[in-house]
Amino acid sequence: MKTLAVIPAYNEVTRIAAVIKQARPYVNDVIVVDDGSTDGTAKAARDAGAIVLQHVENCGAGAATMTGVEGARAMGAEALITLDADGQHDPEDIPALLKPVRDGSADIVFANRFGQRNRIPFIRRLFNGIGNFVTFAATGRWIRDSQCGFKVFGPKALRDIDLRMSGFEFCTEIVRESVQHRWKIAEVPIKVIYSEYTLAKGQSFAHGVKTALKILLRSFLR
Amino acid sequence: MILTPYQIIAPLIALVAIIYAWNLVMRHRKTLWEAALWTIFWGAIAYIAIEPNSIDYITIATGIHDRENAVLVTFLGILFFIVFYLVMRLESLEQRQTRLIRKMALKETGLEDQRE
Repeated sequence: MKTLAVIPAYNEVTRIAAVIKQARPYVNDVIVVDDGSTDGTAKAARDAGAIVLQHVENCGAGAATMTGVEGARAMGAEALITLDADGQHDPEDIPALLKPVRDGSADIVFANRFGQRNRIPFIRRLFNGIGNFVTFAATGRWIRDSQCGFKVFGPKALRDIDLRMSGFEFCTEIVRESVQHRWKIAEVPIKVIYSEYTLAKGQSFAHGVKTALKILLRSFLR
Repeated sequence: MILTPYQIIAPLIALVAIIYAWNLVMRHRKTLWEAALWTIFWGAIAYIAIEPNSIDYITIATGIHDRENAVLVTFLGILFFIVFYLVMRLESLEQRQTRLIRKMALKETGLEDQRE
């Protein structure tokens, strides 16, 4: 099964090379979508051996992920892994995430950062809980960690998916797509590595509220 | 019971909105969940139009006493809807821009979507 990794990245020059190198042993190729970075992320990714798709403007994590999906389709991928560029996901978890897709029991696999004894700050747990609730209100499906960027798409999900939301709302949109296209889902506990760097990269409360409103409004008016 | 024009028009608009939502479900553009939420929302509008007394407790809480005020509030709701609709249109323009940027990125790398 031809498996590609897609890493949406925005100003991650200090982290991207390490993430690519750690992910490479588990996949056929790594696609980095440089989302209008101004710090040389694209060059660092290319030097580390990734295929780089470059947005000329910053469009958001959702838009970058969909660009990666389109690129992977064009390369004939059968399965796709998405992971964050800041190094918070451990690529050693990739085989466990891929297993349900490889054995045909799932079309999409959601990683679950809360399924293991990870040291996650309370505020992060709270925001993720709110994100899960908003996702449930908008889609009717409960996912234990709906806002995690670490996912695996099997052949059916890779063929069907069509993300329209540009920002961080895309995580909820993926859950909606799983309902819409009746994908079989699986959830796999993973390790998560939080550092000062990854925590500083998180969304602000105001941005979270805006995202939640957009999701609810969009699901209602769609 | 004598029905006012508002009591006839509001449920008709609600009916059209509900039929439209389920039509989108049939065309796989809306999920069952979204259509259910939409049905509850417009169903409530129709019910309140036909049975204005059903929201007496809101009258106590908000001070909206008569039908004229209720019509005013309804039209404020419609104005909100129009604003949100415009927001959605802006978003669709943003999506068009994103698609353009995506195509440029894929073309530059020689990975244009082969389905197009």
